[in-house]
Amino acid sequence: SSHEHKLNFKKSKEVCLNYIQDAMLQKQWKRAAEFLTFYIESLEKDFSTAYMGPSEMIWRIGTEILCHHSHSSMKQFNSFIEQMKTLGVKRYLKVCLEHTFHLLCNGLIDEAYQNLSLAESWRFGEQTAIQDKEMKLIQAYRGLLDYYSWSKQKDILLEHGQNGFEDLSVEQEMHSCFRKAAVNLKEIIKIPGVWDLFVKCYVDLLEFYGDHNEACQVLNEYAYNSKFPANPNAHVYLYQFLKRHGESKKSLISALKILHDIVPSHELMIDFNTMLQKSKKRKKRQLGLEVIFAALDYAGWKENVKAWSCLARQVKQIVISEKHLDWIKQEWNSRKDWWPAFHFSRYLAKRNWQENESLSYEKALVAGILLGKDCKYFKYVSHQGCKAQVKRFRILKKFVNKHNPVYLRISG
Amino acid sequence: MEFPAVLFPSYFSVGPPREEGGPGPAAGWGEYGQVLEAGPRRRQAETTFVPRRGGTGESWEPADAAAVPFLPPNASCWIPSLVPQDILYRGVLRRKLQAGKTGAALDFTKQLSHFFVDHPEDAFGSLGRLLHKNFYLGNSKLRVSVHPGVTMLPPTLPLAAASPSLCLFSPQRQARDNTIRMTALMEEIGRLEARCGCPRQRLAPRLRWFSHLCRDWLFEVPLGLLADCVHEELLLQWASLLFDDSSTGGALAWLPPKDVGARMGRLVYPGGQAMNHLYFQDVVLEELPRARGSPAQFELNGHIRQVAAARADGEDFVGVRSDYHCGVWRVPGRTGAAPTPLQVIRTSVPASCLTVSPHLPGELSVCTQSGAVYLWSVERGLQRLRHDPQTMFFRDHSPWRWSDFTAHPRVLSCADRTGLQCLDARAPERCHFDLFKVGEEAGCQQGERVVLPMYLGRAHPSQHLVTTQFSVYVLDERLPLVPVLKWAHMMKAPPLFAHLTPGGPERSHKVLLGASHTQELLLLQYQGERWGFGSACQLVGPPQKLHSIAGCLQHLPVQLPHRHHMLQQRLGAPAAGLAAALQEDGLRESLLVFQLSEAGDVFCQRLTHEAAQPPAPTSGDEAMPAPGSSPLFETPASSPPALRSEEEEEEGEEEEEEEQTFYFPAAALRYRRWLKALSEGCGEPPRHAYPATLSQKRLFTRKELATPAGPSTLHEQLRRQLRQTMREGGCIQRWDPLASQPCTPPQPLELAGDADPLSARLTAAWSGDWGQWWEERTSFNMAQRQRALRERRRRQKRARGRRSLSASFTSSLTYQSELSELSDTAPTSLSPGPPAVVPREGSPPAGVPPASPLPDEALLSSQSLRCRGIPKERRKTLRDYLAVWADDPSEPPELPGSQASQLCIPSSQSQLSSASQPRRKRPRMGF
Repeated sequence: SSHEHKLNFKKSKEVCLNYIQDAMLQKQWKRAAEFLTFYIESLEKDFSTAYMGPSEMIWRIGTEILCHHSHSSMKQFNSFIEQMKTLGVKRYLKVCLEHTFHLLCNGLIDEAYQNLSLAESWRFGEQTAIQDKEMKLIQAYRGLLDYYSWSKQKDILLEHGQNGFEDLSVEQEMHSCFRKAAVNLKEIIKIPGVWDLFVKCYVDLLEFYGDHNEACQVLNEYAYNSKFPANPNAHVYLYQFLKRHGESKKSLISALKILHDIVPSHELMIDFNTMLQKSKKRKKRQLGLEVIFAALDYAGWKENVKAWSCLARQVKQIVISEKHLDWIKQEWNSRKDWWPAFHFSRYLAKRNWQENESLSYEKALVAGILLGKDCKYFKYVSHQGCKAQVKRFRILKKFVNKHNPVYLRISG
Repeated sequence: MEFPAVLFPSYFSVGPPREEGGPGPAAGWGEYGQVLEAGPRRRQAETTFVPRRGGTGESWEPADAAAVPFLPPNASCWIPSLVPQDILYRGVLRRKLQAGKTGAALDFTKQLSHFFVDHPEDAFGSLGRLLHKNFYLGNSKLRVSVHPGVTMLPPTLPLAAASPSLCLFSPQRQARDNTIRMTALMEEIGRLEARCGCPRQRLAPRLRWFSHLCRDWLFEVPLGLLADCVHEELLLQWASLLFDDSSTGGALAWLPPKDVGARMGRLVYPGGQAMNHLYFQDVVLEELPRARGSPAQFELNGHIRQVAAARADGEDFVGVRSDYHCGVWRVPGRTGAAPTPLQVIRTSVPASCLTVSPHLPGELSVCTQSGAVYLWSVERGLQRLRHDPQTMFFRDHSPWRWSDFTAHPRVLSCADRTGLQCLDARAPERCHFDLFKVGEEAGCQQGERVVLPMYLGRAHPSQHLVTTQFSVYVLDERLPLVPVLKWAHMMKAPPLFAHLTPGGPERSHKVLLGASHTQELLLLQYQGERWGFGSACQLVGPPQKLHSIAGCLQHLPVQLPHRHHMLQQRLGAPAAGLAAALQEDGLRESLLVFQLSEAGDVFCQRLTHEAAQPPAPTSGDEAMPAPGSSPLFETPASSPPALRSEEEEEEGEEEEEEEQTFYFPAAALRYRRWLKALSEGCGEPPRHAYPATLSQKRLFTRKELATPAGPSTLHEQLRRQLRQTMREGGCIQRWDPLASQPCTPPQPLELAGDADPLSARLTAAWSGDWGQWWEERTSFNMAQRQRALRERRRRQKRARGRRSLSASFTSSLTYQSELSELSDTAPTSLSPGPPAVVPREGSPPAGVPPASPLPDEALLSSQSLRCRGIPKERRKTLRDYLAVWADDPSEPPELPGSQASQLCIPSSQSQLSSASQPRRKRPRMGF
């Protein structure tokens, strides 16, 4: 009966798909390709209303196979994708976008650009929300490629300018590239998302043409609009922009303060700490200590010599001046139950001494002050250092012994 | 660790997931996702792009064609786990339900009736005892007489099954007043049973009346309550069949060597009958990893669900989770040092998660199904961080919770099925942020749920892996909610186990995902931030499927069917854990992947890294034979199968020579040993796995067996017939009266006259006309009797010259068929089906006496015979029959078929010895 026939057909389709998947997951691309040729038959009776019909599967599987198959060429790939584009209307934009990516990754930027322009001019009935998003992405990538050609022409022009002659046509082309790029890039970065690449390019364009206000506004929007995800890069870009344009210390600090609040472990925290340490205001110096302590809480910073030396320097300053010992005490209070095991164990002392002497020096200083001269880490490192006749370790030992009462005040 | 300078573009929106229907079957292929400029741009140079997915990864090729047993088989009689067929309804209702697409129908009634039949004492015990005097089940009219009223119920009625031994005589006057006749009801039930499965089945009014009357008081446990419990249990069983999350995380852990380059690591795994023994096994990494010495062993009082391990401060800490207990062990740094148990905690609600801190020694996190999350420190004890029976982001019924560590030693991630949150242990109420949400933020599908989160600290301190049933995500704590990587993994079952093998700078990190029921293993590679110019996370190389344990079955030599079936069951047991070890041997690198099955077997496979490969697109199938196609046991075409576990003992010296022909000798040797150990040890416990054979010694006296000196004519005849049938490819069905019989039936032994009714009856049964024999015995029709006599004489003439039953091989066939029918536990039988003899109308009511293990004098008393439901007219037959034993006490007693079968199959005996009797009872050749 026809029902049975349909069932059998469905079953054999599934079996075939399983074979394909199996072959692909074992990197047997040839075998997978053979099975795929059989699977194409399933298109004949594609009445499925499923989200992913056979045509989409063929596109996905075919693309994957062609990417890995040893005998495939770019020509074959292009012709396959062209066929796939005609196979499903709903998927046209997606296929175009993926095709562009393939071309871009293979260095065929002009072809990719053509492909994007073609896709952009495509119209079919009413667009769904997904298609709308895909269209925006297509435009944004075209804008990106426009930006790259703009920057190339800019480079040419700058070179020519150095040589002393002007090229009007190049300049005109450059400006038209700018316009095309700016329009498209501006559009996408209005929509909530992660647009690091596009924002950077757009800001670069604006900065070149001197539109600093617009650039600053774009960056502020990208960093502070609550509809956007909390992207640390947005704050980094803003900070870098402010720094480039010589903004005041205050605005730089406030930009980094926000970054500190969302990502205390960001690598810019060292810059932030140095900046704060130099400040004359007590509050800022206290914040600096807080920042460096917070950064060293994270496992990724455990062996960061720079950070440890920042902390060691500041702690040393405070101990010598004997002012603001309460800052250290405050920071230490929430850490004294786990920092010793996390940073200052005997095992780590051994390892740090073997692997990185200067790290162990900085850490030993901090350990000696925070935990006293009897702390395992300090004892081991200073002992080893003195044995190895390294001068700074002897000085370190003297310093810690001299300031041992500080430890009592901190821990008390 | 720097944050990537530029992230891949992506949209961000909030709210519940919008995409419906789950990803398609090939959703993970053919997509680059997004592209990004690769590295800093140089002047004048063309920009190059890298994709989010699809870059070139490292090449890791499987070294063997299948996973190889790493340890001897777990010494336990593994009970195959529940399968859907056990609890699903099969029949009309299910078909109807399927048509309506309402999903699975649990066979609640069957389970409940199983309960009544299997545990009648629990179900009806006291009322059965109270009432048995008042129920009369005889055939005669219930009236005042001198005969005692006997309560006797066929075993299927639970009422009486509870008290079959209580056959008391009650004074009939009382009986008359208080006894009711239940025979009709019993017959009704019998009919109902016979029509079982009939779509037109209707409840008889009498039965309905009875059940209405009794429903409220008959049951020991109130029926509603009992039904609720059974139903609840069924639902639980079904849910755990669909998805069992108790083993999330996996119960296998690898403790890598202490020093880089050392070759000795440790494998921690559960074993034993109840998987309640914890083993720490030293392992030497070689071509095939080898266990060294005997493992350190700890006996725990619970099924080990999860083994988690992490190294902190140069020492390994191993956390072990069972349902109500969690323990932590410390494995000291020096090699050979014994692991020491540190602490155990008990939970009142099953724990669902145990993870070990990679930052601080002796810290763990524990979650229970009540929604509590604890930070457990060996020194400071337990600190509850959260207690919330509700899920975090939207309502989900699952009580499963998970928790893991993050880049900050005081911040823990907490997960339920709806997402992940990070809490600061110092102020858990105030300080927390959402790390992952099932929703539009991560582009999830509707119905998507978190299955396993894992902290990827060894690859990158702020990255986390989250797997759902559809996809894998990599998340960065510094950019919460937006996955830095997402890929549809296309696995058939949700990945419950994951393992990370971090790669160094400029290398990819390897993530292994494992599923439980399907045993799937998938290797993914991703590249985190590279040093210098921080680049975003990329998935590199195509995903790769590794060998599953069950996959080795096709490479094993051909096995006997029952053994094959057993192996299939054993090897196909759901996976219970996953671990991997990276072995660096000079320039050569290999990854050893260990897989644990629920039966407690540990298998291992090796992947070798081919670093020399040019960055050109990988060409897996051209360069080398497709993995899986190379036979594990390759032998010259003419030689017999190389691996004959059957003939292990005889092989002896040959073994050495034969091994040379193996494709992978070491692997083959491992298999050989494993199979041998399996069949020697525990592998064959289900007795019914053997073909149902019966020792003839128990059936016949030695004298009878000894009689035929040479091949008789019947032998010849039967051989001829057998050969002919074999040629034709048919089957011999001696008991089929309808089938044309090309040769005369095997002739019965005829002893002198009627002296031995038992033999006469048995021979009649064998020759296929037992019904007639019965008529002879019972009928008062003289004509018939005469005809029967004539017939017998004719047979006598024909059968001259043979004296033994054993001459007939069909007789043993019949015995086997009886046997298979008798014992529920022996479904495999040589006979193609039950005897096709149907008692004729008018033949006595069919009913088998419940066979007792050993006959004794009491058995022969009419009283006890009556108790056993044997009708009066048959009692004599049985007495005669049993009296045969008494004739020759020196000989081993010949038992009637049913009893003999019990002696041979003790499992069925134990079933019979309890109050219940064989569940299925069919009319068969009666006595």
